[in-house]
Amino acid sequence: MNKKEVNIKTKFVEKLRNDNMVAFIFCLPALIPLIVFWIGPMIFAFYLSLTDWDFMSASYNIVGLRNYFSLLQSPAFYRTLRNTLYFTVGSVLPAVIGGLLLAIMLNRKIPGRNVHRTLIFSPWITPMVAMAIVWSWMFNPSRGLVNYLFTLINLPALPWASSSTWAMPVVIIVSVWRTLGWAMVFYLVALEDIPEDIYDAAEIDGVNFWSKLRYITIPLVSPTTLFLSVVLTVQALRAFDQIDIITQGGPAGATRTLLYEYYQTAFQQFNAGKAASIGIIILLIASVFAIIQFWLSKKYVHYQ
Amino acid sequence: MSPSNIKTIFRKYKISRILWQIFMALVSLIMVTPFLWMFLSALKTQKEIKAFPPKLFPEIAQWSNFLETWASAPFDRYIFNSFFTASSIVILHIITTAMFAYAITQLNFKLRKPLFALIMATYMLPVAVTYVPSYIILARLGWLDSYQGIIFSNSVSVFAIFLARQSFLQVPEEMVDAARVDGAGHWHILWKIFFPLTKPIFITFGLINFVLMYNNYLWPLMIIRSREMYLITIGLRQFFIEQGAYGVNWPLIMAASTIVVTPLLLLFFIAQKWFIRGVGDTGIKG
Repeated sequence: MNKKEVNIKTKFVEKLRNDNMVAFIFCLPALIPLIVFWIGPMIFAFYLSLTDWDFMSASYNIVGLRNYFSLLQSPAFYRTLRNTLYFTVGSVLPAVIGGLLLAIMLNRKIPGRNVHRTLIFSPWITPMVAMAIVWSWMFNPSRGLVNYLFTLINLPALPWASSSTWAMPVVIIVSVWRTLGWAMVFYLVALEDIPEDIYDAAEIDGVNFWSKLRYITIPLVSPTTLFLSVVLTVQALRAFDQIDIITQGGPAGATRTLLYEYYQTAFQQFNAGKAASIGIIILLIASVFAIIQFWLSKKYVHYQ
Repeated sequence: MSPSNIKTIFRKYKISRILWQIFMALVSLIMVTPFLWMFLSALKTQKEIKAFPPKLFPEIAQWSNFLETWASAPFDRYIFNSFFTASSIVILHIITTAMFAYAITQLNFKLRKPLFALIMATYMLPVAVTYVPSYIILARLGWLDSYQGIIFSNSVSVFAIFLARQSFLQVPEEMVDAARVDGAGHWHILWKIFFPLTKPIFITFGLINFVLMYNNYLWPLMIIRSREMYLITIGLRQFFIEQGAYGVNWPLIMAASTIVVTPLLLLFFIAQKWFIRGVGDTGIKG
């Protein structure tokens, strides 16, 4: 090895070492909070779920999997799971389907297009707490706007949030109202990416609207559909504000979802251990969805 | 094509256009009905708001409802708390995101790929799992019920890192090399080259995260106790409960909701292209 080569080599090593140091410093501001408030707590949650701690006592017992067993043995917990499934499917499906249909409607060069897009999207940026209060007034059984409109078109006035049958639909309607425009914007971007000539070719072949939808649009936007389904599902698992304002999980537990039970167990019953185990169950469900998404995207989704 | 043929197509197109306008107007109207109803209800008297069938407009607009609402709870304090914490969080997001995205796109170090994978994994995971442990950590730090508790527990945005990484990768290499030759350090390259070139993405996530933090409810509800620390969402919920104690005072509650929602609607209508573009950009493309 001659001198020059050695020189280059030490310089390279030095650069690498410097990069390591710089990288460490540059990552630190993001990593510290991430470790303290995300990754650390995630691991801590596993441990907590094996205890019976109550937030206050100096001591606690390791109870193993007892928290999980007691959840899995209680009928109320299965009700919560069913509610969560009902809420998730009920809020994700209409948002995805409605979002796609609205995007198709708005994907034409017609005056007014941008105004409609803006108005339909606007619910997404408003605070759920405030708008849930407004919706609970609109759904007021005796004096609300919705029941008034129902009586105008000869539909029966419904008890809405005060009935265990109709409370969940109210919460779902409020959630869909908020995410519909958001889903639509994703589809608008996806539709813009579809080359015009595909439709032109179909037009010449005399393909009708539904066939175009079925054989061109839906397959070509499938990556967006998959992305939205997963993100909206994760969002549905963390829905809280509208439930807390409109129903508080009631009546008689009809709108108590996993996250709401988590909140009540932790901050009303002060059972940190049991709450942590509900958190882990939410984590498992979300992970299953993430894995399904990964698997589906490899197998079925059409990428252009 | 024969002229009559063109005529039918033209007519068909025109009719479908009118139908389109009617349908879209209806959809948009439904979407903004809650805003309109909130605002109109805020201007009614107790008696008017309880009338059934409801009247669309109040006899005389009760603007005093807003004054009465403003006077009956410290909304100025709540709004200040929300604006202050949300802005601080966004500033921290900009700093932590820029530095982290620079490291994982421009620097050569061993943990580069696993680090990015780790960050992306946390994006998919439900934040709920971390609430109870994070609460305990904040309690140990003595940061419950404090500004620093709200701010630092929210100081990283995975969504922002994801967006910033995408656009940092598109910065032309020649510009970076040229700066290096001139002897510029990493810090300088980040803030004088990358940041100005990718500013749109920072504006986008800054706005979106500001809105998310202003609207944040569950986490602050867990860690905030004292009234002077209330964020606007918690203050509004408290007001809702208090006004409901002796027969619900809906006009004042609607006025309070209007006070809470209006700043965001204004922000949105001024900066809407940033919001809509930002949301669309986060979609996964083939």
